[in-house]
Amino acid sequence: MLINFILLFLFAGVPYYIYFEKTKKLKREQIFFLSTFLLLFGIILDSIFPQEISMPFVIVAFMSSLFTLYQANKTTNLYKLAYYVLFFNAPILIMFKPEQSVLYALSLLLTLFGLYLIAKYYERSYGSANYQSVSGITLMTPYAGLFLTTYLTALALYPPFPNSILFLHGILATDMNAILYFIIVVIFFGNFLIAARVMAKTVFGKPNDNIHYIDLTSKEKRLHLALVIVLLMLSIVGLKEVLA
Amino acid sequence: MSILEKLNAVKDTVPHYWPIGAFIHHNPLKGFEHINFKEALDEAQSIFGGQVYMKPDYYISLFDEGKIKAEHLEKNLLKPLKEFGFDAFTKEAKEFMLDISPKWDSFRSYEELKINDIDDTLHTYLEENSIFMDKEAWIQSLTKNLTLYEIHDALFATSDKELIEKDVIEYIARFLDDNQTTLSMADRDLGMFNTFKLYENIDHDGDSESYVQKVLEKLKVKDIEKYFLTHILKLHGWAGFIKYRSEDDTYYAQQDHPSTLMDYMAIRLHFEQKYIAKEKINNFDILYSYIDTHKEYTILKLLQSKGKLTGIYNDAMEDTQDYKEILGAYVKDEINLDSLQIQLAKKSLPSLNLSLIEFSNFVNLLKKEEGFLWLKSLEDTYIIEHVNAFTSPQSYDKKPLSSTIFCLDVRSETMRRKLEESGPYETYGAGGFLGIPISFVEFDKAHQLNLAPAVIKPENIVFEIPVEAHEEYNAKQGINKTYKKVLSDLKNNPYTPYIMVEAIGWIFGIKLFGKTFFPEKTNALFNKMKPKKPKTTYTLDKLTNMEIEAYVKKLHINIINEVLITLSDAALSDPQIELLWEHLALDKELNVKISSILVEKLKYAYHINPQDYELQKEKLAHVGFTHDEQVMYVENLLNMIGLVNNFSKFVIISGHGSLSDNNPFESALDCGACGGSISLPNARALCMIANKKEIRQKLKDKGIDIPSDVKFIPAMHVTTTDEITFYDTDILDKEELEIFSTMEKDFKKASFKAREERAIDLPNTNEQKDLFIKTMDWSEPRPEWGLAGNMGVFAGPRDSCRHIAFRNRLFLHSYDSSIDNKNADLLTRIFDGPLVVGEWINLEHYFSTVDNKVYGAGSKVYHNVVSKIGVYNGNYSDLKIGLPTQSVITEGEAYHEPVRLLTYMEAPLETVGKAVENSIAKDFILNEWIRPIIIDKEAKKVYSYEYGEFIVIKELE
Repeated sequence: MLINFILLFLFAGVPYYIYFEKTKKLKREQIFFLSTFLLLFGIILDSIFPQEISMPFVIVAFMSSLFTLYQANKTTNLYKLAYYVLFFNAPILIMFKPEQSVLYALSLLLTLFGLYLIAKYYERSYGSANYQSVSGITLMTPYAGLFLTTYLTALALYPPFPNSILFLHGILATDMNAILYFIIVVIFFGNFLIAARVMAKTVFGKPNDNIHYIDLTSKEKRLHLALVIVLLMLSIVGLKEVLA
Repeated sequence: MSILEKLNAVKDTVPHYWPIGAFIHHNPLKGFEHINFKEALDEAQSIFGGQVYMKPDYYISLFDEGKIKAEHLEKNLLKPLKEFGFDAFTKEAKEFMLDISPKWDSFRSYEELKINDIDDTLHTYLEENSIFMDKEAWIQSLTKNLTLYEIHDALFATSDKELIEKDVIEYIARFLDDNQTTLSMADRDLGMFNTFKLYENIDHDGDSESYVQKVLEKLKVKDIEKYFLTHILKLHGWAGFIKYRSEDDTYYAQQDHPSTLMDYMAIRLHFEQKYIAKEKINNFDILYSYIDTHKEYTILKLLQSKGKLTGIYNDAMEDTQDYKEILGAYVKDEINLDSLQIQLAKKSLPSLNLSLIEFSNFVNLLKKEEGFLWLKSLEDTYIIEHVNAFTSPQSYDKKPLSSTIFCLDVRSETMRRKLEESGPYETYGAGGFLGIPISFVEFDKAHQLNLAPAVIKPENIVFEIPVEAHEEYNAKQGINKTYKKVLSDLKNNPYTPYIMVEAIGWIFGIKLFGKTFFPEKTNALFNKMKPKKPKTTYTLDKLTNMEIEAYVKKLHINIINEVLITLSDAALSDPQIELLWEHLALDKELNVKISSILVEKLKYAYHINPQDYELQKEKLAHVGFTHDEQVMYVENLLNMIGLVNNFSKFVIISGHGSLSDNNPFESALDCGACGGSISLPNARALCMIANKKEIRQKLKDKGIDIPSDVKFIPAMHVTTTDEITFYDTDILDKEELEIFSTMEKDFKKASFKAREERAIDLPNTNEQKDLFIKTMDWSEPRPEWGLAGNMGVFAGPRDSCRHIAFRNRLFLHSYDSSIDNKNADLLTRIFDGPLVVGEWINLEHYFSTVDNKVYGAGSKVYHNVVSKIGVYNGNYSDLKIGLPTQSVITEGEAYHEPVRLLTYMEAPLETVGKAVENSIAKDFILNEWIRPIIIDKEAKKVYSYEYGEFIVIKELE
């Protein structure tokens, strides 16, 4: 029971970001790192002390997830979006068995790290990680557009990125019931909606004439490329798992 | 002022938009031509937004290339500097324009703000003079040209605009459809608004005007005129098209299903009212009272919707509700950035002895004026260069073998030059449509093509008729037409494509594969399948009254026969049919036994009645020309170009056209002065007339003696490949044919050389073959450069410009002022036709280049043909006006060099003055939408018309 409660907290099943956002004790990127760190810690804990699925905790995480979905659809800040997506996916991490949970969490964290790097690039180029005014980047900054599209596609659970494959793998390995199916469907479409909404306002849309667009530096390009390669390798692992 | 008058007062803000099938180049700011060019551009910018000049970087690179000379820039700079007392700082002003202006935006940097102190005095000065201090004025400027639903969307994150515009476009695209769909909208004959009432189930008894009045009252619109303009600007392409068709009674679609701009306005306002009624803030009164109590929030949301709020403020908006504080920080930062910009710019000009406040005014003046100053300096540099070339003495052999009169177009320049270089040939340029406006009905076609500038409505109809057997042609053509009709019906029907793709989709694959990988062979194969058109001639002479009556009678009797055979068993003899016709058409007593139902059917369903009889007679009365008209057109043409004696053996009149595949903008590459069609029919008609003995006799009486052995031969210049094809050469005898074929070889050589020169400028063209492939390549977005690059017109003798290689950039109109009369009628005619069309072409290219988003059509890649009247982006968007990016831009850089039409006239100043006074072009000439330059060889002076006066720019020796 106690370990379940701890995992609920570590897997981002409790929206503790509200506290930090309100008090401003941590910056947005710090909240992202904190939740990432806690999640990693949770994964380790879960591997050491494997737990059965606890429905009440899944439901609590799902309630928190719905609230986070609402928050994610309100924000235009990429840092915030990164940890919102993490919190939104919490029920899945709690539902899945440790082996599947580890893989899905890993792919999610890698993708969100990519999104975090894009947020960092936004901050450097446009003064903030807020994308509200920075639309049409595919036309203006094709490299940034390409990598952001990749991360958002992965988050939207599109193959061949690992998130979708490992998501499927997790479902196949879990003993499902009606409630879990319902949660799975909501999380699946929620991820898609969040990513599609951001895509419409960033990679697509008309470029803003008031903004001087700056593309990724070559160092950033290399870093993103490495990240995408790792993601694709994870896809292969996921595919092998699914086929097995 | 009535509602209609208010709409009429603003409708000219958008130009006419003609259907794309007959693409007419036009000035997108036509409605502003009553104002001076520079002022008009400022006003247009405040209405449409976007750019009206190229960016400083562009001009600076031209300056570096030497295309803009420093002396012209300095001279032009002096005028505004003097006006504002900065004339002592010309050197610094030039330095600012060259070195600092390109970096101007980079001075407004948050990073720099962290490390630089802001001057308090300057900050206070800028603050006092900024709009930020007056929130009401600020809101007013932010809501300028915004509809109620747009403001609502901005304030409350709704998406009414998307829904409203989509609904508007869906309805009007369906209503205005010109046979693109097989399922047309029903009841269109009721008119746009009345049909709309049926579709939207609107319970309103009055017309569109009264409906508009009703909705405006509901929305509580204060300034109706302004609101009409706001709505027109939302989809100004569609508005421009509806405006065009509502003002052209002869446009057949307008006759069939009429529409007015008021109908369009009613539709727009209906949807606005429909969607906004669901919102809490659903009229301007409620909106204004909301804004009154939420000024800061309103400003921030409006700034956000316009993309003017940077990330940090967007974050702040998300995190806190204290909008006053956020706006305060924004204003502070903005003024700090403005101050910083000025301070850093001042630092870059250490020699300038001005206070920061004075410098701020100095810089503001330069930033406001720089676009125009660069443009004028570029034009001035070209003008001096051209004038020097035009006035350097040249002489040429006066006994050429042929004189080729080219239908005026920049694209004939290279060809003319190469032709003159290839042998004893001289060339002339004559105003497009060759001065003969005709309504042409091609053989085997049913519709009339107006081959004249859009402003002229041809009074004479010319039919193309075969002069040899054409049964085989008819049979093949019949099969082709049926095949095309079946395919088109299958493709456009909403249900059949499901089956069609599976069943016969692969057939299209052959064409697709062939056209992609073997364009030449595929093209040759399909050409073989096309029937060969028989030799034809034109109906050029007027019919006599008796002939007209006989034709109409024959037509009616044929219809009666057809009806009797198909609908009735009554067998009538020929005299009886004649009596029946007399009863129907001439209202004579009926002396034939026939059912009254059939008689009624013939009268009303088949229109055989006295009214139709008169109508048909009137129509036929327009066929052909009277002898006097024929003489007049040939005389006008020859006089206009100054070819009145010393005729060569062959006078070739060449029309022009373009060849391309899968190109909705194809007609933009044809003859602009022929309503976007090829000008071959005009050339053929003129040659046929000029070869008539009786016409030559009458011309001789008028002082133009064309020897009997001179032959007029029509030709067609294909601008994509620079090939010239001759027509009607069967009038030549054997001896003439021999000489002609030698000449033809020289024409071919000239074509080869012209292609060689042109290929250099055309992307992906390594050899001559590539130019031909471009005509058949369905994926080619740029089959030729068309009129891109056009920069001027020269009206004067060819000898003055024959030695200059303009590389297809000037319209060269032949004109001899010595044969013009005191009233300058010839020059006036050039102004009224070619100059008007030239200005439209020039300014369309200008604006499509300076801001393709606002004035152009965007990339061809996203275009879809809509309703067969134009193109739009994707599934729905505004109708794209102007030229696509591929027509003026290459690899992100402007290919077309945007300058006003440099209009050189070799004539006495007095003659030009008369022509300007008499011309319909007076407004845009005097308001400097073109750059008039007069080369007065009699007075030995060259004048330029600028800032409202003639200035001598060169004294001739």
